[in-house]
Amino acid sequence: MTSTSTPSEAVPASNTEPARPARTPRRAPADLPFRFADRGLAQALAAERSEPDWLRDERLAAWQAFEALPVESNQLYTPYVDLRGAILDEVRPWVRTASGPDAANSGELPEGVDGLIELREDQVVALALSPAASAAGVILETFGTALDRDPDGFRADVEGGATLPADDKLAQLARGFWSQGVSLVVPDHVHLAHPILVRWGSGNPERALITRTIVRLGTGADLTLVEEQVPSGADIECAEGEIVPQGFFHGTTEVVLGADARLAVAAIQDLGPRQIVFQHRTSQIGEGASLHWALAQLGSRLVRSRVDNRLEGDRSSVEQAEIVFGGEEQVFDLTSYTRHLGRDTTGNLLSKGALLDRARSYMKGLITIEKSAVGTDSFLGEFGMNLSRATRAVAIPSLEIDQPDCRRAAHSSSVGPIDPAQLFYLESRGIPPDEARKFIVLGFLEPVVARVPLEAAQERLRELLEEKWAAGSDGTAGSAGAAA
Amino acid sequence: MTSSKTREAVVDRRDQYAFHDDIAYLRETKRGLTRDTVEEISGFKNEPDWMLQSRLRAYDHFLKRPMPMWTDGLDKIDFDKIVYYRKPSEREEKSWDDVPEQIKATFEKLGIPEAERKFLAGVGAQYDSEVVYHSVREELAKIGVVFMGTDQGLKEYPELFRKFYGTVVPHEDNKFSALNGAVWSGGSFVYVPKGVEVPLPLQAYFRINGENTGQFERTLIVVDEGAKVHYIEGCTAPIYATDSLHVAVVEVIALAGSKVRYTTIQNWSNDVYNLVTKRAHAHANSTVEWIDANTGSRKTVKFPSIYLRGENSSADIISVAVAGRGQHQDTGAKAIHLAKNTTSRIVSKSVSKDGGRATYRGQLKVSPGATGVVASVRCDALMLDDESRSDTYPYIDIQEDDTTMTHEATVGKISQDQIFYLMSRGLTENEAQNLVIQGFLEVFTKELPMEYAIEFNRLVKLEMEGSLG
Repeated sequence: MTSTSTPSEAVPASNTEPARPARTPRRAPADLPFRFADRGLAQALAAERSEPDWLRDERLAAWQAFEALPVESNQLYTPYVDLRGAILDEVRPWVRTASGPDAANSGELPEGVDGLIELREDQVVALALSPAASAAGVILETFGTALDRDPDGFRADVEGGATLPADDKLAQLARGFWSQGVSLVVPDHVHLAHPILVRWGSGNPERALITRTIVRLGTGADLTLVEEQVPSGADIECAEGEIVPQGFFHGTTEVVLGADARLAVAAIQDLGPRQIVFQHRTSQIGEGASLHWALAQLGSRLVRSRVDNRLEGDRSSVEQAEIVFGGEEQVFDLTSYTRHLGRDTTGNLLSKGALLDRARSYMKGLITIEKSAVGTDSFLGEFGMNLSRATRAVAIPSLEIDQPDCRRAAHSSSVGPIDPAQLFYLESRGIPPDEARKFIVLGFLEPVVARVPLEAAQERLRELLEEKWAAGSDGTAGSAGAAA
Repeated sequence: MTSSKTREAVVDRRDQYAFHDDIAYLRETKRGLTRDTVEEISGFKNEPDWMLQSRLRAYDHFLKRPMPMWTDGLDKIDFDKIVYYRKPSEREEKSWDDVPEQIKATFEKLGIPEAERKFLAGVGAQYDSEVVYHSVREELAKIGVVFMGTDQGLKEYPELFRKFYGTVVPHEDNKFSALNGAVWSGGSFVYVPKGVEVPLPLQAYFRINGENTGQFERTLIVVDEGAKVHYIEGCTAPIYATDSLHVAVVEVIALAGSKVRYTTIQNWSNDVYNLVTKRAHAHANSTVEWIDANTGSRKTVKFPSIYLRGENSSADIISVAVAGRGQHQDTGAKAIHLAKNTTSRIVSKSVSKDGGRATYRGQLKVSPGATGVVASVRCDALMLDDESRSDTYPYIDIQEDDTTMTHEATVGKISQDQIFYLMSRGLTENEAQNLVIQGFLEVFTKELPMEYAIEFNRLVKLEMEGSLG
C-alpha cells in the first residue's frame, strides 16, 4: 500500500536479495499484530467524542492495563497462541461514530423479531423495537445514547471494566478503545415473545472496529438474543498476487443476569476471509438464573475468542454449545472459563470442531470449582473431527477443583475421523459416499444449529455450513478415514 | 481382606521408613553450584574429557534457562544450599559382606537382602550419590545383561554409553535436565542384548541421606532388538525439616521389537523437591510401559513420556499420585506419536487429602504423518476433604485426520454408599475408606510384583492414617 518506490537500477542486483514485496518483520506467535492501541488513541477517543472525564480516565486505565498484560496471561495456554496469521500493522481504528438513527423505531423491524440493531463499521444502520418491547420498558440503544440519556447509569455499567476479565490484554483493549457499543436492558419480569437481533457488519480493509455489547436482564426476565457478525460489504476482488489488507473486528458481549432470569444467546460469526476477529463474552449469573450460549464460528482468517462464565448465584446454570467449521488457512483460538461459586450450580459446556484443508483449532477450556460451590454439576466436552491431513486440532479441557462435594465434575474429549461404521450404514442405505460424509459432518455440528432460535438465522447457518462443505470437499476432505 | 491377618500386615511401620544414620562422608563438594563444582565432580570420577565438556555445556544451559512458571513453588528452591556431590565410601562394593556395617543396617531396614533372596534378579542400591552395593546374579551376567552403576557404565562400556547418553533427554530439554546433566552422579546403567528376555525384574533402591543433599542420579537403559526387561525403582528417605532436592533423568531406549517396563514407587520424605525427567524412545514394534506411583515428597514434577518413533510401537502409562498435607503432586504422562499405527494408553489416578494438591498434567500429540494412531487418556481423581485440591490439565494436539483419540476425566469424593456398606460389614470408617482407596488405585497395584503391591498398599495406608477425625 506504500506509494514510494526506489528506481530499480539503484539497487545492485549482485549482493542483495532479489526484489520482493516488503515483508513485515518476523513476529513471535503471541506478538500482537497491531500497534494502534496507545495512550494517544485513548485520549483522542475521549476528546473527539466529547466524553466526560471519568470515561477518559476509564480508557486510560484500560490502556495501562493493556500495556502491562501479556497476550496470554494464563501459563497453561502460552504455548497455544498463534496470531501470526494476522497482519494489521496498517489498520486504523474508528474514532468518531457517524451519525445515524439513535432513537428507537427507525428502520424496518423484520418479522418474528422484537428488536433489531444493525451496525456497519462506524454507523448505526437500523435500530428498532417492537411496540410490545417498548411498552415493557426494554431499552436497546448505543453507548452514545446511553451516555446522554442516563450518564450515571451508564457510568455504573462500564466503569472499572465491568465484567471484562482484568487479566486479559485483549479484553482491556475493548474496554479502552471501543468506538461503538450496544446496551440492552430488559426490566424485571419482562418476557419477550421474540428474539432481539444485534448485527455487526465489519470487513473494511485496514480498519479496526472495536465494540462492546452489554446485556442486562432484571429479576425473572426472559430474553432470546441473536448476534450476527457479517461482512460489511461485497467480497473484495483482487488481481492475482495482489494482497488485500486485512480488517479487524473486536467485540464483546457482557451479560449480567438477575435472579431467576433466563437468557439464550445464539451467535453466528461469518466474517470475510480477511477479517481478524477477537471476541470476549462474559456472564455473571445470579441466583436461579440460566444462560444458554449457542456459538457458531465459521468465517474470518483468524479468531481468538474467550468466554467467561461466573456462576455466582445458588442454583444458577450455564449451557454452552460452540461449533467451529474451519477450512483453508483458518485459525480458531477459543478459550472458555467457567467458574462455579454458588451452591448447586450447573455448567454444561460442549465444543465441537470440524476442520478441512489446513485449518487449525485450539480449544482451551477450564472449569474452576471454588470451595463455596458445594453441589456443583459441571461437564466440559471438546470434540474434534479432522477431515483433511494437514489440519490440526488441539484440545485442552482442564479442571481446577477445590470442593469435592459435587454432583459431577468431569470432562471428556475425542478427536477422530468420520466413523467408517456410520459411513457404511448410510452407504448401505443407498446414499452416495460424498453425501453420506456431508450428512455425518453436518450432523456433528447440528447441536448448535438446532439451538438458533430465529428461523431465518437457522436457515442461513445451515446454508453457510453446506457452502463451506462444498468449498472444502473437492479434494480429500473427509475421505481419508474411509480410504484408510 | 477383613481377616485379622491382613490387618496385622498393615500395622504402622512409619519408623521403618523414616530414619537417618550419621555417616562420615569421605568426599563431598562445597554447598552451592559453580563451574568449579562441576569440574570437581568430574575430576573425582576421573571422567573422560567429553563428559566434562558435556557437563559444562549443561551447566551453562542451566544458568541460562529461566525457572518454569507453569507450576508454582519451584522458586523456593535455594540452589546455593545444596551439596551437589557426596560420596559415602571409596569404592563400589561387589559383595554384600564388604558393605560398611552402618550402610548395611540402613538397607536391612529397607529389607533389601530379604527381597533379593526371594526373587529379585539384581540389586543396585544407591546410598546418597554413589552406587555402593551392587550384585548381578550370575545367570544375568552369563546372558550378557549389563546392570551396574551409571558411573561404572561410563568406564566399562564407553562406546555404548556415549552412543545413547543424552539422546533421549538432551541437556537443553528443560532447566532440570540441564542441572542433572551438569552434576549427575549414580543411577543405573542397563543393557539387555538382542533377543534376551530378563526373567526377573531388575531392582534398584535409591536413598537420600544427609540434610540438604541433592541427589542427581542418571539412569540409562538400552534394550536391544527383541529383548525384554522389567526395571523397578523404589524410593524412601529420612525425614528432614529443610528442603532437599532430587533431580533425576531417566532415559530408556527400546529398540525394535523390544519390551520394557519401568516401575517406580516414589516415597521421598515430605521435604524433598522431586523434579524428574523420564522419557523413553519406542522404536518399531516395541512396547514401553511406565508404571509410576508418587506418594511422598513435598513437590513432585514428573511426567513419564514415551516418544513413539517406530511404526506399530505402543505405549502404556499408569500414573498414580497421593497428595497429603503440604504436598503437591504435579504428575501425569506424555505420549508423542511420531510414527504410523502407534497406540498409547494413559491411565491416571490421584488422591488428595488434608489440604494436599494433586495435579494431572499430560500431553497427547499426534504428529503429521503418524496415521492410524489409536490413543486413550483416562484421569480419575478422588478428593477426601474440601481442604484439598485437584487439577486436571490435559493437552491434546492432533495433527492427523485418521487418529482415534478419546479422553475422559472425573473428579469426586468417596461414595458414602460404599463406606456405609463396608461399615455395615464390620469395618471401621478408616478401614472402609482405606479399602475404597486401595480399590481405586488397583489399576496400578495389580501391575506390581506381589511384594511391591503389599508395600505400596502399606504406604497408602500410612498416608491415609488419621485422615478421618
